[in-house]
Amino acid sequence: MSLDTAPAAATSPARTTRPKMTGRKVCVFYGDKQALFDVDLEITANQVTSLIGPSGCGKSTFLRSLNRMNDTIDGCRVTGRISLDDVDIYDPSIDVVELRARVGMVFQKPNPFPKSIYENVAYGPRIHGIVKSKADMDELVHSCLRRAGLWNEVKDRLNEPGTGLSGGQQQRLCIARAIATRPEVLLMDEPCSALDPIATAVIEELIDELRENFTIVIVTHSMQQAARVSQKTAFFHLGKLIEEGRTEDIFTNPRNKQTQDYITGRIG
Amino acid sequence: MTDAAMDAPAATPVPAPRRDFGLKRRHRAEAIFRFFGVAAITIGLVFLVILLWSVVSKGYTAFVQTSITVPVEFTAEIIDRNGERATNPRVLVSANYPVIARNAVARALGVDPDDKAAMREVGKFVSDGNRAILREIVTKDPSVIGTTRPVTLLASADIDSANKGQIDLGVPEKNRKVSDQQLRWLDQLKDQGAISTPFNWGLLTFGASSRPETSGLGVALMGSAYMMLIVLCIALPVGVAASIYLEEFAKKNRFTDFIEVNINNLAAVPSIVFGLLGLAVFINFFGLPRSAPIVGGLVLSLMTLPTIIIATRAALRSVPPSIRSAALGIGASRMQMVFDHVLPLATPGILTGTIIGLARALGETAPLLLIGMVAFVADSPSSPFDPATALPVQIYMWTNEAERAFVERTSGAVIVLLVFLALMNLLAIVLRRRFERRW
Repeated sequence: MSLDTAPAAATSPARTTRPKMTGRKVCVFYGDKQALFDVDLEITANQVTSLIGPSGCGKSTFLRSLNRMNDTIDGCRVTGRISLDDVDIYDPSIDVVELRARVGMVFQKPNPFPKSIYENVAYGPRIHGIVKSKADMDELVHSCLRRAGLWNEVKDRLNEPGTGLSGGQQQRLCIARAIATRPEVLLMDEPCSALDPIATAVIEELIDELRENFTIVIVTHSMQQAARVSQKTAFFHLGKLIEEGRTEDIFTNPRNKQTQDYITGRIG
Repeated sequence: MTDAAMDAPAATPVPAPRRDFGLKRRHRAEAIFRFFGVAAITIGLVFLVILLWSVVSKGYTAFVQTSITVPVEFTAEIIDRNGERATNPRVLVSANYPVIARNAVARALGVDPDDKAAMREVGKFVSDGNRAILREIVTKDPSVIGTTRPVTLLASADIDSANKGQIDLGVPEKNRKVSDQQLRWLDQLKDQGAISTPFNWGLLTFGASSRPETSGLGVALMGSAYMMLIVLCIALPVGVAASIYLEEFAKKNRFTDFIEVNINNLAAVPSIVFGLLGLAVFINFFGLPRSAPIVGGLVLSLMTLPTIIIATRAALRSVPPSIRSAALGIGASRMQMVFDHVLPLATPGILTGTIIGLARALGETAPLLLIGMVAFVADSPSSPFDPATALPVQIYMWTNEAERAFVERTSGAVIVLLVFLALMNLLAIVLRRRFERRW
């Protein structure tokens, strides 16, 4: 079984409603402790889905199970079914390397490689053999940096270490690195929590632009951020998915009491 | 203050009584701790200075050697009495060269060649090691036979000591190693300008010898170099590979815990036990030659492995997990994550650990004694399978020699060993500075 059977171009009229990823009865265990209980969630293609909820509610755990980053944690176990374009990503025949190339990730803390800015972006395409020539690579690196809104700030110092950039720049570099492998889904785990409001605004704008080409799932602690950037919101509490729906509905007219309490600041 | 005013509006403000935070006691405790810290460092430094002073003050003279430059007559009657060197070149090898050296010095001193007693004294004045020097000149160019040319000869060890002022002249002559006559000759040669004290290259090139002036560290240096090379080639790749596997690939379970405990225990095993292991396994079971650097290198590799593994694992662990997540997150395989990102960041730590391990191996003596590297080896080993000694073992052997000239050589050898250790540690620091990166 291969992931390549997925329809490549998303040009059909139904592109805004087609589920890109689907979770069915997803349970995650860390050793004996269960962190997620029977989560059913659909991630719509070319939309931003935000996962909100108090600390320890399992939203990051769910995010990390979407590209199997949980595999790297000893004693972590996932049951249920998570599919990408209707292919079960936990199927034994699936190679995580291919999965992660298609489902990229941006982390909470900016974590550029201690290498040059150019090398940070070029590493992914190189190991996946996405481009053939040096010129194509240059082209790809430049376009990724441009799309991440970093080009004007770094174009004269592509050979300087990525770790020398400011926090906000580093995070945009990480986004450029993530989109350089041309993923279909981009997972973002609190990408702005280490940034100041100005850098946050830049990243949020960027997320909105990236929605054109990628399906984005973002974990955030900031309800304003969820309201600003996402079209769909899912509220997690104590490892359970309490409510999900269109962002406007969740924030203006929550059906569940817990959701209401959380977005109005009474719990969490 | 406002609270107090509200509670008792009528009373004049009373300053709050000073609370006892135990500051005096805390400051005293800190002062005592600081004192002990400074005292400990001072004591350490004093001992270090004493050690270095005693070694250097005894050993620095070993780096020069008293030599006598006199015209030497390559007498045909002595070298080749029967004139058969054209047919039998071996006569040139076995000729009585010490007599030629003795005669040359005797002529320079004006000693009557028929004065048997005086000639015997002159014979003790020059080193027997001149045999090799003169033999080399003659075998290289047999046409020198019958001619006279200036040659720099080695003084004997006792004359060398006397020249360096290490013989107590207050002792009665018959209890001294050097006679008054020899001392007069020494002064006479000095006046002629024949005595010189050039740098003692022999200390670094000669092999083992029973005469101090012709014994050196050559074989020991070669042996140690071979062993370090073997340790580097075996312990570094095996140790790094083992650590990477344990740290990055192996599942954490009872079995890996068990291995970890054993590696830590192995690091604490006395080195002589490794020597016994080498004797039993490499020499008795695999039949490798005794006294050979190959066996020493293998034993020291085993001994260094735990050190390198522990250092490498610590270095790998100090690489932030975020780098691993970053690599895995864009679809790098575990192998690519390790070799493209984790290993480069861990390199300074690995190199430091390796060099510290090598330095420890370089100074190791006990296991080498057990595998027979404590041997009288005069010829430089041409491969790791030839007999050799090692630097610390050579120091150990020279300590057992009685002659005064060996005392300074022992200290000289210690200086050589310390210089190598210092250089290795310096290299470790330089490499760490060089490869250190921030993240």
